[in-house]
Amino acid sequence: MTAYLLKRAAAGLLTLVVASAVVFSVLEILPGDAARLMLGFNATEDAVQALRVQMGLDQGFLVRYFHWTGGLLSLDFGRSYTYSVPVIDLVAERAAVSLPLALISLALSTAIALPVGVFAAARRGRPADTLAMAASQFGVAVPNFWFALLLVYVFAVWLRLVPAGGFPGWSAGAWPALKALILPAIALALPQAAILARVTRSALLDVLGEDFIRTARAKGLPQRAVLWRHALRNAMLPVLTILGLQFAFLLAGTVIIENVFYLPGLGRLVFQAINQRDLIVVESVVMLLVATVIVVNLLVDVSYALVDPRLRTRT
Amino acid sequence: MSDEALPRTGFMAQAFANRSFVAGFVITAFIAAVALLSFFWTPYDVTRLIVADRMQPPSAAHLLGTDQFGRDMLSMIMVGARNSIAVALVAVGIGMGVGVPLGCWAAARGGYIDDVLMRFNDIVFAFPALLSAIMITAIFGPGAVNAIIAIGIFNIPVFARVARAGALAIWPREFILAARAAGKGKGLITAQHILPNITNLLLVQGTIQFALGILAEAGLSYVGLGAQPPMPSWGRMLFDAQTRMIVAPYLAIIPGMAIVITVLGLNLIGDGLADTLDPKLRRRR
Amino acid sequence: MSLLDIENLSLDIGGVPILKGVDLTISAGEVVGLVGESGSGKSMTALSIMRLLPEAARVSGRIGFNGIDLLAASEDQMCALRGDDVGMIFQEPMTALNPLKTIGEQVAEGIRWHTRASRTDALALARKMLDRVGLPVNEFPLSRYPHELSGGQRQRVVIAIACALKPKLLIADEPTTALDVVLQAQILELLRDLVDENRMGLLLISHDLAVVTEMADRITILRGGEVMEAGETAQTLSAQAHPYTRQLAQASMHVPARDHRPRPVAESKDVLLSVRNVSKIYPGRRMSLFGKPTQTRAVDDVSFSLPAGRSVALVGRSGCGKSTLARMILALEEPTSGTIAIQGETVSGRNEASLRHIRRDMQVVFQDPYGSFNPRRSVEWLVAEPLHLLDSRPGRAERRELASQALHEVGLQPSDLGKYPHEFSGGQRQRISIARALITRPKLIVADEPVSALDVSIRAKILDLFADLNQRLGIAYLFITHDLTVARAITDEVMVMDQGRIVETGNTAGVLSHPQTEAARTLVEAAPDMHRAIAKKMQEQG
Repeated sequence: MTAYLLKRAAAGLLTLVVASAVVFSVLEILPGDAARLMLGFNATEDAVQALRVQMGLDQGFLVRYFHWTGGLLSLDFGRSYTYSVPVIDLVAERAAVSLPLALISLALSTAIALPVGVFAAARRGRPADTLAMAASQFGVAVPNFWFALLLVYVFAVWLRLVPAGGFPGWSAGAWPALKALILPAIALALPQAAILARVTRSALLDVLGEDFIRTARAKGLPQRAVLWRHALRNAMLPVLTILGLQFAFLLAGTVIIENVFYLPGLGRLVFQAINQRDLIVVESVVMLLVATVIVVNLLVDVSYALVDPRLRTRT
Repeated sequence: MSDEALPRTGFMAQAFANRSFVAGFVITAFIAAVALLSFFWTPYDVTRLIVADRMQPPSAAHLLGTDQFGRDMLSMIMVGARNSIAVALVAVGIGMGVGVPLGCWAAARGGYIDDVLMRFNDIVFAFPALLSAIMITAIFGPGAVNAIIAIGIFNIPVFARVARAGALAIWPREFILAARAAGKGKGLITAQHILPNITNLLLVQGTIQFALGILAEAGLSYVGLGAQPPMPSWGRMLFDAQTRMIVAPYLAIIPGMAIVITVLGLNLIGDGLADTLDPKLRRRR
Repeated sequence: MSLLDIENLSLDIGGVPILKGVDLTISAGEVVGLVGESGSGKSMTALSIMRLLPEAARVSGRIGFNGIDLLAASEDQMCALRGDDVGMIFQEPMTALNPLKTIGEQVAEGIRWHTRASRTDALALARKMLDRVGLPVNEFPLSRYPHELSGGQRQRVVIAIACALKPKLLIADEPTTALDVVLQAQILELLRDLVDENRMGLLLISHDLAVVTEMADRITILRGGEVMEAGETAQTLSAQAHPYTRQLAQASMHVPARDHRPRPVAESKDVLLSVRNVSKIYPGRRMSLFGKPTQTRAVDDVSFSLPAGRSVALVGRSGCGKSTLARMILALEEPTSGTIAIQGETVSGRNEASLRHIRRDMQVVFQDPYGSFNPRRSVEWLVAEPLHLLDSRPGRAERRELASQALHEVGLQPSDLGKYPHEFSGGQRQRISIARALITRPKLIVADEPVSALDVSIRAKILDLFADLNQRLGIAYLFITHDLTVARAITDEVMVMDQGRIVETGNTAGVLSHPQTEAARTLVEAAPDMHRAIAKKMQEQG
């Protein structure tokens, strides 16, 4: 098991290194000089040159790359040009919105999807199954930002139950802050829940068609007991994979939802930073998200090994 | 029997016996017809702005109403369909065109080439797709072409993975050994034996990616990075509707429904094809 | 009164009739064999008793078990019976166990469910049961997972699950079909002992007449969902009163008419294939991060030569390395060391281009008549595929001509050229497979278990075809098989392989009647033999 996990961890590390090189190079070939962009086109050549030196832009590519990665490792992400604060502070502040939002959506989506998927699989072909699958088919097709708009219209504009947008900050108390995250979380979670419910159902049906299910039935276990004792755990493998992918999506794919609700999260930060050519912020946030995806994938691998004994003995 | 996993002739005929597939096919054919029609005829000219007619609710003159500039919504939806389909379709083309050869190559060669290619896949997968697409379009400038490229790049590893998995399942089969005993090389075997047997698999993935592409394009143009005005696009229409929802909710509802219906149609096709492909699932219906 | 009493059982699935008025009885302590070819409805009969049929199935008739009509029983009643009074064993041991649960849990589960025993008690009973089926706890702790066991061991676990609560009736559906002959003999012996110990009734379902003859007291022969003949085993099979019984029995014992006279010396001196000190080593898994990887010697220093026109069998248990050796001879895999030569030309270490003229002289026929064709190509395309090896590529008309000639050779019509593989039965597909191998007029055909997947009557015809082609065209065969009846029917010489080595060689009749080595003796003794079994049964009855 250790060998399996070490191998996965090494692969993740390698991915991280290559990803950092890719991110750095892509932003490097970006048209436009960062110093010039920051100072505006009226600035003198001398002033621009001075800023270039100050920012280290006059040094070679590799030097800057290693300086940057070294900084990342020691959590020194540099300073944002536009906000004039350390990037790490900026990121921490915005993550305080995005991370809870992603976690709430994931919990919500899982809490809806797993029971629906199991329920539909247990009643396959019956009206309840057909209804659940038709609803999920719609859920998968709905763009989350459109769903968000509809939610705002119904719950914020019509019913005035929750704010239509903005974020009061955690300093305003947990409840107002959570209230501001409810609609975005629902908007993110429902389409994901539709996908997860479909995956859960089809994974369960796949397992229910296996030979060992027949062996369990021949032991005298009724259908329901077979579903809970034998099928569910085997069906968890594909479900875990999707869960891992969804967390990554929820953390990073919030850009648009954060725009709908004017939430000061990571996605909105990157979006603004790209438009303002605040490269160091873009680089840092993207690397942070990539690292998170890799860590989540590693966690999925660990849970694989916990579920499946075959992975524990394999190298 | 063991050969049920492999497609047989008459695949499309079987697909047309599937309810999901037929429903999806009808919906998608309708949307595609509307998009094609928009090249020749729309009820009104979408570039003509008549402020006097602005934000009119649906009526006989404007079946789906007008927007804040007095443009006819039906005409905009029609032209928007063209844009959505074109972006998603070309993005699928890029993904297939690059991903499938890569996946087949990895499966045929194995060893370190396979390792390197799959590691490359992992790296692309590690980038949050939508965020990276936003980054690409923002850096290289907003517009339909860059949206296509951004979405297309993230389709590559998906198709590479599907093609590789499909090919790996076929390589150990006895008819491949027979082809090798007939002196055929890996390239020829891939072309004659592997590809025909994974086509249906790729078709299923293709419809899924097509649907996701429509959603991604809508998202990109919603944040202003897709097709640029005056070219109408569904995502852009939603963005414009956002601040006017209180007075004219239909402005947001109509483009959203267009997206939902198109994606639904494609997903139904994908479901129907997948059912036809896997008789084990079909029997359970 | 009999334990199981099936009366007039009929079954259809989605309107297609599967069983038509089947009658069958089993008494306590009795073994009844249910024999038939694929599609005869054997497995559906078993699943009807268990009431584990597919949802679309419609059943009529009566299945009396211990005074209850199973077809009228509620699902709750059935759950109480399954695994307690009726146990079942399935064909495919590799997939019959839940991969995520330990073998102890899986055996104990049914015990706990039915007896409400505590976990400890159930595990204790499971331990006893596993010990009884030949998996002692010191070698096979209860915490083992299925993937840590071999196929034969897994089948023992399945038997332990089925027999844990000493059922009155045991149903075994092709329990040994997926195993080699030696394992088959062991599993059959275990089943026989369990039946005797507990006075169980056993319904043994098999396509293999020899297996059923050895095991069963009575036999029921099924064809197309109807009972053809039923009766006392030895009597039924020796009298062969029903024409289908005769057909089945004769096909099972079929030996193609062949010319067994020694060939002219000159011909047999002409060495076609020579294998010298060939080994194949696979790098194994590394057990720990710094440990040495274990190596698997799949083929270990094998040498032999095959004269032109000669038919030789390579016999051994599954996993003995015979298929690996075949693939090396066919240049589909590289040997780790040693040389293989066809007509004096080395096969190994060549690129595809320089292999072409060698490949022309050797072709291959595989076991699985379903897997050996690309389902998307026509028969013409498939049969003509080896023409790729010719230096001058034949034109369309010539390809067609050659393909139709090859089809004619194997008894198929030129009109079959435009059809697709799924339009043919298993036996016909195997003919197409042989036609494909013949089209380049090779001197050697390597056949890897070419008849193991076929029903007996079809098997007999394919064996005839092989024999006929050998006589007419002088093609040499290397037959790879674990089945001694095939070796006996078709080959002059036999090589016995064991753990990567060839341990015994000699003329087929000699080796089979007087095996010299342990490995050969085990194979010969394990092979079911219908004649012997009938004779033994007759003697017992006096």
